[in-house]
Amino acid sequence: MLVGLADLFWTVLAKGVASFHFSMLTTVTHGIAGGLQNAILGTFELILLSTAIAAPLGILGGVYVSEFAHTKSAAAVRFLTEVLSGVPSIVIGYFGYLTMVLSFGWGFSALAGGMALAIIMLPYILRTTEVSLEQVPRSQREGAWALGMTRFQAVSRVVWRPAAGGIATGVLTAIAIGMGETAPLLYTAGWSSLNPTWQLTGHQVGYLTYVIWTYIDQPYPEAHALAYSAALLLLGIILIIHLVVRFLVHQSTGSARRHSLASYVRWIRSHASGVSASSAKRASATSTYRIRTR
Amino acid sequence: MGKSIAVENLRAWYGDQLTLKGIDMELEANRATAIIGPSGCGKSTFIRCLNRLHETVPHSRVEGEIRLGDEDLYRMDPVDVRRVVGMVFQKANPFPMMSIFDNVALALRLNGIRRKRELFERVEKSLRMAALWDEVKDRLRDPATALSGGQQQRLCIARALAMEPDVLLMDEPTSALDPGSTLRVEELIEALKSSYTIVIVTHNMQQAARVADRTAFFLNGELIEYGDTATLFTKPADPRTEAYVTGRFG
Ligand SMILES: Nc1ncnc2c1ncn2[C@@H]1O[C@H](COP(=O)(O)OP(=O)(O)OP(=O)(O)O)[C@@H](O)[C@H]1O
Ligand SMILES: [Mg+2]
Repeated sequence: MLVGLADLFWTVLAKGVASFHFSMLTTVTHGIAGGLQNAILGTFELILLSTAIAAPLGILGGVYVSEFAHTKSAAAVRFLTEVLSGVPSIVIGYFGYLTMVLSFGWGFSALAGGMALAIIMLPYILRTTEVSLEQVPRSQREGAWALGMTRFQAVSRVVWRPAAGGIATGVLTAIAIGMGETAPLLYTAGWSSLNPTWQLTGHQVGYLTYVIWTYIDQPYPEAHALAYSAALLLLGIILIIHLVVRFLVHQSTGSARRHSLASYVRWIRSHASGVSASSAKRASATSTYRIRTR
Repeated sequence: MGKSIAVENLRAWYGDQLTLKGIDMELEANRATAIIGPSGCGKSTFIRCLNRLHETVPHSRVEGEIRLGDEDLYRMDPVDVRRVVGMVFQKANPFPMMSIFDNVALALRLNGIRRKRELFERVEKSLRMAALWDEVKDRLRDPATALSGGQQQRLCIARALAMEPDVLLMDEPTSALDPGSTLRVEELIEALKSSYTIVIVTHNMQQAARVADRTAFFLNGELIEYGDTATLFTKPADPRTEAYVTGRFG
């Protein structure tokens, strides 16, 4: 398994570096040759759209489940997100095709593609937000409530701060996942060898995973060069995202910048009661489990 | 100015477990009252009913009546209750991602105090009352976690005082503190009790004797004895109180 992964990584790296030209960044695809500018900009547009939809919804949903929901409605939302994250992405693509592309009349478009990606990203963002908030010890909430803060004030002024790194991590991980998707976009975004027009509906968009998925099967070396270059680019971007994620985990975003999230974690360990420590353990166990199952 | 609290037949549950079994108790205004009793007897649960934090625990329940001054505590909005009934917790719980200043200023800002000058004055006053000002005045922008445990607890006291509550609940405020910090907190209670109603839970009977005007002894969710501190420690009426204060159990 690990050997296979290393082999894949090496192939992409070696062939990608060999076939990549900087001119690919500034030219669009022509047939099976040319550049990747249209696909890069298209991927950027799709991710921008999907993040703009999924991040606010997912964060609000996570805050709702963790801080406001009664146990029953929280369980219901949790169940729905589990189901949603278990739906194969091709099914989400086909569903998007039937509804957005056909019924709503948007056609193959950035909006349809962005929405499809947003549906895939949403459960991750919601769940990591919820888990990050739940790891904040109860004593922090009680401290805020005891000062006469409403539940909303407590979460918007106090509780979110220690959770911010975790929430950002969830959003970035979701972006990385969205970037790697092909199947839902085939049915919703279509493909275009022109640069995106930034019109939301009625115009198809290109994206990097399409190039990889389609051109790798062509019998022409030019097509292979494009596919490997696109794979290299994606790999690089996703790698950078994960590096940022790692950095964020070690760095806090609160006003007391000098103190890192790591010191906060140490602080929690020494202060948290047995109950919240074990629930934090359970939460992090669930999140590792979920990452593994993908 | 402090307000009196009258508790009538207070019963509290965690799930099916009846933890407070009908407490009747009058807490006088502008006095310090100590709550003593063995671990698990319901002291924390009792004072957490007084600022309505108990009901935030999932599956918990309360019955009975509590009057704060002449208002029915359980008819008030819990947020309003907690603005006039402040609390200091057993384990210091400053907001760790905030500066020392912001820890105290946050609740003031939420209450509409925005002018820099006034905010600063209120923060300084609270930190002085909590006997912390001299130690932190040059580093108000440092994170609260940079303080020692004892300083963190005094920061939490300052945070509660900044709201200018009528009642101050303290749940074993000195159990994690060194003798020096403990002394400062006790001096603080001494100074505050003329203008606040103070309820302090403590395991330390010398402490109860030092700071409290009246003392209540709890056992298994019941109020066994309640009276003047001196009387309760020297001439307890109930043999169970006597056994506890002389250290024969608990
Ligand atoms: N969150 C909770 N959920 C369930 N049971 C609880 C909870 N908190 C306290 N209890 C139970 O209620 C009883 C009273 O607890 P409480 O914390 O009021 O005792 P205490 O007198 O403050 O004890 P200590 O001196 O150890 O702080 C105990 O039996 C305890 O196990
Ligand atoms: Mg207690």
